[in-house]
Amino acid sequence: MTIVVIALSVVVLLLSVLVAGLLRSHATILRRLHELGVGLERDPGTTASPQVPRTDGSVPPPRDVSDGRRAHDVVGVDPTGAAIGLRTVDVDHDTLLMFLSSGCTSCEAFWSELAGNGSIDGVRVVVVTRDLAEESTSAIRELAPEGVTVVASTGAWKDLEVPGSPYAVLVHGRSGRVVGEGTGASFTQVKELFLRSSHDHDGKARADQRRERELDRVLLDAGLGPGDPSLYRPPTEPR
Amino acid sequence: MYLESHGIAADLPPGWEGSIEVERDPDAVSLAELGGVLRPVTHLGTFPLPRDRGDFGSGAVDVMGGEDAFIALVEYDPAEASSELFASRGLPRSLDPRAFSSQALQRQRGRQAGWQGFFNEGGRAFCLYVVLGDLDDLHLLARKVEQVLAGIRVEVER
Repeated sequence: MTIVVIALSVVVLLLSVLVAGLLRSHATILRRLHELGVGLERDPGTTASPQVPRTDGSVPPPRDVSDGRRAHDVVGVDPTGAAIGLRTVDVDHDTLLMFLSSGCTSCEAFWSELAGNGSIDGVRVVVVTRDLAEESTSAIRELAPEGVTVVASTGAWKDLEVPGSPYAVLVHGRSGRVVGEGTGASFTQVKELFLRSSHDHDGKARADQRRERELDRVLLDAGLGPGDPSLYRPPTEPR
Repeated sequence: MYLESHGIAADLPPGWEGSIEVERDPDAVSLAELGGVLRPVTHLGTFPLPRDRGDFGSGAVDVMGGEDAFIALVEYDPAEASSELFASRGLPRSLDPRAFSSQALQRQRGRQAGWQGFFNEGGRAFCLYVVLGDLDDLHLLARKVEQVLAGIRVEVER
């Protein structure tokens, strides 16, 4: 009996060592995969792209634009009931979505102000109401400012988690991200707020370009041209 | 992006936007007030479509760039469906870039080129009007438009 117990204990001990070894090798594999960028949290649909040296002189695009949450295109109907779909994501222009309602008193100033001056240079202004079934259709038709696109789309309110009206969301077309949101007492105030936000965005882009030019100059002075393999070595690798 | 209205549906690929609404031509609106019927007009484009535009895209094609394309699908009286002009059957799904010309535009604009075709589908009469942004890029732009045409469905006239 004693011999059997001892034999079983030895077997259990050996199996424990085996399991510990397997767990350790598994952890090593996961760590290596993590270092290669596999298994990182990404937006659905995107794939990991391994960093490979380029010899064509091109510079890889940024992996992601982290600023701001992802925006959505707007699909709904206009005040006459016509189906309408507006692209706000992956386009060259920015879009200011003004979420207004036919019933809210704070929105009145926005409606009247938009009628006179509803445009911003380089930015497409779109008024988004809830579905016509949830609004006063006749009031929306009367309020709809001349020359400004009005879309009734409760879906857009949900997609962008709009807390209420009046509310403004500025979508950066190229990145498809929300780069500003909030509200104000008037459309003029909102415009000032968002134009500043937009300029800040441009300012950052210009600063990035300046830094990029400066880095290019330093690297070229050091004899390192585009695609030089030394540019793609991991920073921990000994030189 | 999926649009559906007035018995017309369009499944748009990335980069396109559009609307399906009734015609806005002042003459048609006047006739409608006298008992006529306003027919649907579908506008699709690769650029922000301005609110104020004509049935055949005046006002919209003025702001389109060289890499852009514009489609107008304008419906006519179903009684015309059996006429000679609309004798061609079915929405054209493929386009011949050689058929595009700056002469086919309502108004010649820069390097734009246009093409117009008439057809009947489901007992309905339509005009398909396509404007491409650059005469030097007709093949690429025509393929872009064909991608959209593949996603358009027309219901039978009831």
